[in-house]
Amino acid sequence: MRFLKDFFHIIALPALLIVAWIVWSSQSTSFFVPTLEQMSNAFSSTWTWNRMQSDVFPSVARLIAGLVLSIVIGIVVGLLVGSFRWLRQLMEPTMEFFRAIPPTVLIPVFMLLIGIGDDMKIAVIVLGAVWPILLNTIEGVRSMDEVLSDTSHTYRIDGIARIRYLILPSAMPQIMAGIRQSLSIALILMVISEMFASSAGLGYTIIQFQRSFAIPEMWSGIVVLGLIGVIMSFIFQIVERSVLKWYHGQREMENAG
Amino acid sequence: MTTQPAEHNPVINQGSMADTPDGQLPVGLTLPDGEALLSVRNLKKVYQTDGGGIEAVRNLTFDLPKGELTCLVGPSGSGKTTLLKAISGLLEPTAGEVKLGGKLVTSPPKNMAVVFQEYGRSLYPWMRVRENVELPLKVQGMDKAQRDKVVDDALEAVGLDHVPRSYPWQLSGGMQQRVAIARAVAYQPEVLLMDEPFAAVDAQTRADLEDLVRRVWRQLGVTILFVTHDIDESVYLGSRVVILSSSPTVIQQDIKIDLPDERDQLETRSSQRFSELRHHVYEQIQLAKEGFRPDAAKAQA
Ligand SMILES: Nc1ncnc2c1ncn2[C@@H]1O[C@H](COP(=O)(O)OP(=O)(O)OP(=O)(O)O)[C@@H](O)[C@H]1O
Ligand SMILES: [Mg+2]
Repeated sequence: MRFLKDFFHIIALPALLIVAWIVWSSQSTSFFVPTLEQMSNAFSSTWTWNRMQSDVFPSVARLIAGLVLSIVIGIVVGLLVGSFRWLRQLMEPTMEFFRAIPPTVLIPVFMLLIGIGDDMKIAVIVLGAVWPILLNTIEGVRSMDEVLSDTSHTYRIDGIARIRYLILPSAMPQIMAGIRQSLSIALILMVISEMFASSAGLGYTIIQFQRSFAIPEMWSGIVVLGLIGVIMSFIFQIVERSVLKWYHGQREMENAG
Repeated sequence: MTTQPAEHNPVINQGSMADTPDGQLPVGLTLPDGEALLSVRNLKKVYQTDGGGIEAVRNLTFDLPKGELTCLVGPSGSGKTTLLKAISGLLEPTAGEVKLGGKLVTSPPKNMAVVFQEYGRSLYPWMRVRENVELPLKVQGMDKAQRDKVVDDALEAVGLDHVPRSYPWQLSGGMQQRVAIARAVAYQPEVLLMDEPFAAVDAQTRADLEDLVRRVWRQLGVTILFVTHDIDESVYLGSRVVILSSSPTVIQQDIKIDLPDERDQLETRSSQRFSELRHHVYEQIQLAKEGFRPDAAKAQA
């Protein structure tokens, strides 16, 4: 019963939107609003296995590579900067400067420096997606509970053990919040990085369809993008729930008590 | 001043003086070199803040003999936590020194455990009860089989062997503090410091936990310094009570608790001697609160 109810909640709004679109598009004569039939035809003819292999999978692979790099760099640098006051003071102005630069304006520079291959595209993704993770990790490390920190010191849980058993888990709620923000940034940058000097990829394909006025195909590409986003956040939620089980449990307890 | 008959006077150290840089100051019980397990000498702590220095501890000198359960009472804000942090090597003293087993304490020593007042913040919320107790041993490198046994024993000793897989936040306050005690017991320290560990639990649980501390103390032969602001608790638990003055803190009095070793919440607390001792400590605390300065009093004498 519970499951059915949840399922209904999840599905209700998308279903409503699709119905609204069917009604609207069936009456519309606009060239830019395809009907359901046009859309589903375009979808199945466009997103064949071949195209998945040539345009979707490489994009997703770069997206994943960019995210993994962002997470690793963000957490490692965040742990360091968060742990040392002097490092924080040293890095803060510089970090603010780089964070303020929109990664997209660096694409031409990157093209010159790293070329136009996968490296460049991944670099663009990392440059945008690393900030929320980095800044949240720093904040997470800094907001460490003082009593817990003292307790760990008295039991001589130092060095690597301190990072592993104390700092990392205690910063994890913030780190996860950072990763959540990074997911959507990475997706956007994946698309944008393929708009310049590219000959394949999901972003490239969508732009091509748009330029050749293949409107239903263009829309179907956007739907594919949306699906990737949904799948990503779904996977994230599963991971988050298991990693932060203790955190949600504790919060629930506090709210109840 | 005191209403006690002479033969009942429990004071072991009030008149004795120490030559200190600040002049003469009252000190607690001190032992000849090499006999004390823990010795605190002329300890002073001034916190540096934006608004200037705050002198939390002025000058403390006392020794803890091996195997004793000493209670430290003092008014709120008298620097009890500051003292414990300095003893445990978490806080660098402004002046003076702490020695454990003859060695100067500059960082948390290996054979010392601390139980803090804030049980909710001293347990790792991402670990289950068992893992919390086990972690210090694991980090120390104790092998799994031995660890399992030590942890089992510790959980059993505090009466928590039925909830090893719960998370701390699923437990009541009293149970959480039991976990913290189990962790300290499993760590097998020579010295156990406890900072108002029962201030936030209800009266019934508190009585149980007090008996638990006495039991653990007698079974393990560990040396305990138990900080509290509860006079009854200090007399009931301790074999000795050190009374601190109000801030800036010096030792007001150091008294011996000559109650029988076998203590019982009902019987001990209703005994004649208990109420005499309690009365005495109460009077001293009142004096401390009113701002009586043993150092000033001595200076005049
Ligand atoms: N980190 C700090 N910075 C500045 N002042 C501090 C700091 N910690 C404690 N103090 C001050 O030092 C004094 C002693 O504090 P401490 O916490 O040691 O007292 P306490 O006896 O443990 O009090 P309580 O009974 O309330 O626990 C207080 O006046 C307090 O305001
Ligand atoms: Mg305190």
